[in-house]
This record gives sequence, C-alpha cells and structure tokens, in this order.
Amino acid sequence: MAIVLQARDLAIGHGSEVLLDEISFDVQRGEVFAVLGGSGCGKSTLLRTLIGLQEPLAGRVHFRGIGPPAKAMTPPQFGVLFQSSALLGSWTLLQNVELPLRKWTALPPDAATAVAMARLRLVGLDRFAHHLPAEVSGGMKKRAGIARALALDPPILFLDEPSAGLDPVTASDLDELILTLARGLGVTIVMVTHELTSLQAVADQCIMLDREARGVIARGSPRDLAERSADLRVRAFFRRERAPRTA
Amino acid sequence: MASRAFTLTTDETGPRRRLVLTGAVTLADGDVLWRELRAQFAASRDRELELDVAGVTRLDGGAAALLSSLRAERMRGGLDLPFVGASADTARMLDLYDCARTGSCDPVVPARSTTLGDIGDFANNAWRTTQAILGFLGDLVTGLVQGIRRPRTVHLGELGQLIERAGTDGLPIVILINFLVGAILGLQGAIQLHRFGGDQFLANLVGLSIVRELGPLMTAILVTGRSGAAYAAELGTMTVSEEIDALRTLGQDPQRFLVFPRLLTLVLVLPVLTLVGNLLGSLGGLAIAVSYLDQPAVVYLQALQAAVDLGDVGTGLLKSVFFALAIGLVSCQRGLATRGGADGVGRSTTSAVVVVLFALVALDAVFAWVFSLLDW
Repeated sequence: MAIVLQARDLAIGHGSEVLLDEISFDVQRGEVFAVLGGSGCGKSTLLRTLIGLQEPLAGRVHFRGIGPPAKAMTPPQFGVLFQSSALLGSWTLLQNVELPLRKWTALPPDAATAVAMARLRLVGLDRFAHHLPAEVSGGMKKRAGIARALALDPPILFLDEPSAGLDPVTASDLDELILTLARGLGVTIVMVTHELTSLQAVADQCIMLDREARGVIARGSPRDLAERSADLRVRAFFRRERAPRTA
Repeated sequence: MASRAFTLTTDETGPRRRLVLTGAVTLADGDVLWRELRAQFAASRDRELELDVAGVTRLDGGAAALLSSLRAERMRGGLDLPFVGASADTARMLDLYDCARTGSCDPVVPARSTTLGDIGDFANNAWRTTQAILGFLGDLVTGLVQGIRRPRTVHLGELGQLIERAGTDGLPIVILINFLVGAILGLQGAIQLHRFGGDQFLANLVGLSIVRELGPLMTAILVTGRSGAAYAAELGTMTVSEEIDALRTLGQDPQRFLVFPRLLTLVLVLPVLTLVGNLLGSLGGLAIAVSYLDQPAVVYLQALQAAVDLGDVGTGLLKSVFFALAIGLVSCQRGLATRGGADGVGRSTTSAVVVVLFALVALDAVFAWVFSLLDW
C-alpha cells in the first residue's frame, strides 16, 4: 500500500512548552489510523498540527509527497471533523455541506445541491437537510460534520474524537459509517480517540501517546496493543486502569 | 476550455440510445458531466437511454452522486437511466450513492414561508416575547422579595466591576454624544430664535429639552447599546454553553446571581450618567450661544438657572430609573431566553436592543403624558 501521510520527527507544543517530541509515523492509503492516549496527552494538538492549524516546533508533515497542507487558494487535500462538529449554526445542514462545493467547484447550483444531498443521504441525514444544527442531536451533528468533510471527496479524513459524548448505539452507527467510508469509498482516515470500543471496531493501526513520556509509547494494531504489548502503561490503558507511575 | 479526464459519446446501434462514459469521472469535472448529460437528456426527449460505464477507470463519490441524482431526476419523469457494464469498483461507488438504496430519491423541499404566515409568526413572536418579559418580571419580583428576606443569596460580589464597566467606561461616549446633541439642538434653535430676536431664550430651549427629554433618552440609548447588548450577549452565551443550567444545579438562582446585580448596576449608574449627560448637553448649548450668538457665558448660565428647576431635573432622573429597569429587564430576559448557538446569541442581542429601544420610547411617551396631566 502507498503512504499518504508521513509525520517525521515532529515536536509539538505551545511556545517553549513541548507537549510531544520526536513523533514519527506513516499512514497507508485506505487504512483507519488512530491516535490514542489519555486526556491531556496532546492528541488533539497533534491533529491540529497534522491539518496545518498549528505549526510544529520541529519536524514536518508530508501529504502524498506534496508537502505541507495547503492553506489558501487551492482546495483542501483533506476533510476534518472537529470534536464539536463545528457546523455553522445559522446555516442548514445542506448549506453547511454545500459550502465547500460552492467555493471549490464549478458545479451549477442545482448540481452542488445534488452532491450535498447525496453526502447527507450517505450519512442518513437527507430528511434533516433543511434543519439547523441546533435542531438536531449531537450524533446527527457529527454525521453532518462528516458529510461536510466528505464534500470534496478528499483522500484523507481527520476525525477528532468522533464518538465522544455519544450514546453506545449512536457511537456504533458512527463506527459503521467510518468503516463504510474507509472500505467503501477508500478514504484514508486518521482519527483521534480515547474510546476503546470505537478504536477496536474501526482502527487498522494506531499509535499511543503518553503525557509523561511526551511521545509515542506504542504502535501497531489495536488488537496487538491490547493483547501483546509489554508496556504496562499500554496494558493499563486497554484495561481501563490507572497507569503505573514512572520513576 | 480546461481539459477533462472523461469522454461522453453516444451509440445509436442498439435498441436504446446508449451514452458511453469513459475515463476518470470525478467531481473536478462535475460541472461538465452535469451539463453534458442534461443536454443529452434534452436531445433524447422521451427516448429510452442507458449509460455505459464499462470504460470508467475511476469514479469518485461526487461524480457518483451526480450520476445518481441525474438518474433519479429522469426516473421522476417516468423514464430511467440504467447504468450498464460497471466494474466492481464503479458498481460499489454507484451503489453507495444510489438514493433508492438509502431512502427516498424525492427531493426534500424546505417548508416555504408565505407573507401571511410571516405576519402571523411576527405577531405570535411579539406576543410570546411580551409574555416572556412579563413572566420574567413576575419572577424578578418574587426573587426580589426572597432576596430582601435573605440578602446573602444575592450575588453582589461583582457589583463594583459591573459599575465600572457600565458607568466609568461608558462616561466618555456619554459626554461626547450629549455635548454634541446639546450643540446641534442649540445651533438649530439659535438660527430660528435669532430671526425673531429671541436669543435670550436659547438656554430655555436647550436646557429644558436636554434635562427633561433628550439627556435621559440619549443616555439610555447609549447604555442600551453598550451595556444592554453586552448583558444579552453575555447571558446568551452562558445559556447556550449550559452555564446557566450549571448554576441552577448548584442551587443558584440565575436571577439573584446574574440579573439582580446587573439591574442594580443600571439603576445606580444610569441616573448618574444622565446627570452628566444633562450637564454636557447644556454646555453644548452654551458653546453655541457663545460662538454663534456672541452671548456672554454668564447670560446663558443665568437664563439656564432661571429656566430649569430641580423639578425638571427630577423628572429626567425619575425617567432614567425606569429606563434602567427596562434596559436591564429586557436585556437579561432576552439573554436567558437564547436558544441555539452563536446565531442564537446574535438574535438575542439584536432582539434585546430593538425591544429596549421600543420600550424606552414607549416609556418616554407615557411619562410625557403623565407629567402633562400632573402639570409637572
């Protein structure tokens, strides 16, 4: 499989404070790659760095060999689902999904609407197309956020805590959608999560970050990490136990 | 014309007219695909059509969505557009975006508003807003009684900060605007009075207009724009971020915790700002008297002293207390009634300013009528 995303020797933090150091990993085309770890370990900050919202203190991110993410004037190379969904509150779900299509394609208005409706249908929200975000549930907002992220057929989707705060059934539906996107559409998915059920249901590969180690402490498939890792911190995480203190 | 990665040709040899799509069909060429297929539909009129996709080397989700939508559109017209010869990848993508597979292919039409409906909605909203404000006033009175019984339940810790923000920080704009209003009124009055030899009455005109009407009203409008809007936005943001609900679960009454301090602030601050506004408005008139009418300052001031008595100042201050209550009551109520997200906060803030401005003018009219009845 081809590599679509490479992170090399990333150092991430705020000002002089280094949260994560020497982070390197590769993401293969079509796989679901998860970044996991406890609260405050820098998962979301790493995601912000990968999508270009935050400059790394050191190191670099490569997308399919075309360099860092484009910031303006060219269509985004990836779609992003933010933790809060980040839908525009005064726009309907349909208008939210249409937004990137109107900005970056030459589609006539009725064609843009048709594509946006198809995206909403894919995530099961076509009947709610004319609702405002405030009028739908949290799970629906997440799905609408995914539909918007998918609008331009990006080869990579970044999902920040997609199933956080959702009930188990809705979270399971969302996992199924993620699998459909990866297996059906061939989209590469990079997701940040600490939901073990979701992780084990969808992820092919993962890296685990640790706040004290300020870096990657394990990498592999979720099953390998859960069943075979020799690292006590990793095993504790998968058993939902408090990690042992390091000296 | 930009190059495209697909071709669309027609084949008339079979029983059906066959459209042959080849190459990479992606969203990037979606506009061309959409227009060319639509043109083919128009050219074929009622003829049977099929779309041969055997030569499609790549089909992305956006293009599949367009094909699916065009097929659904044709089916709504009683015709079909079967896709034939699809490879496994193409078939999977077409299946994923097939509207018949995931639900209805009928377009979802938003509920359309009518003029009559809009008028009804407006009237209904106005009634509900009035009801909500009156209900809020009732709650406030109840809370006030409880607050007087148990003063420690009223949160006055941030009163100083609130007074600083609404009062001290608002002083410069109140000074500037009232001075300019006094000057404008003075200039307009001076031009007319001078024509009839009534220069000495400028102080009466400016002084009484400012102290009884314009000073309290202009100051209240400024405080609405600064503090009223800020209260509505602040409480609205707290509502949508569930901070108000959190306060309730902590046993804190939002009215006593948030609304009382703001109301008290305005009741304390607005009369003081009004006094300052009255003074500066009168000085604006003085500036015109001196510069335009060449009137000695002492003449203007003596005329002002004779024209404006404490009763006039009192009517303005009395109004300013009621204006303060209206600003605080409506702004806080609108803020706490916020629904939705960022747009809801915007709507609440706009609504607060509009309703308060209407309330200020209505109150002023009521006061004018009452004072005329009392000959005050």
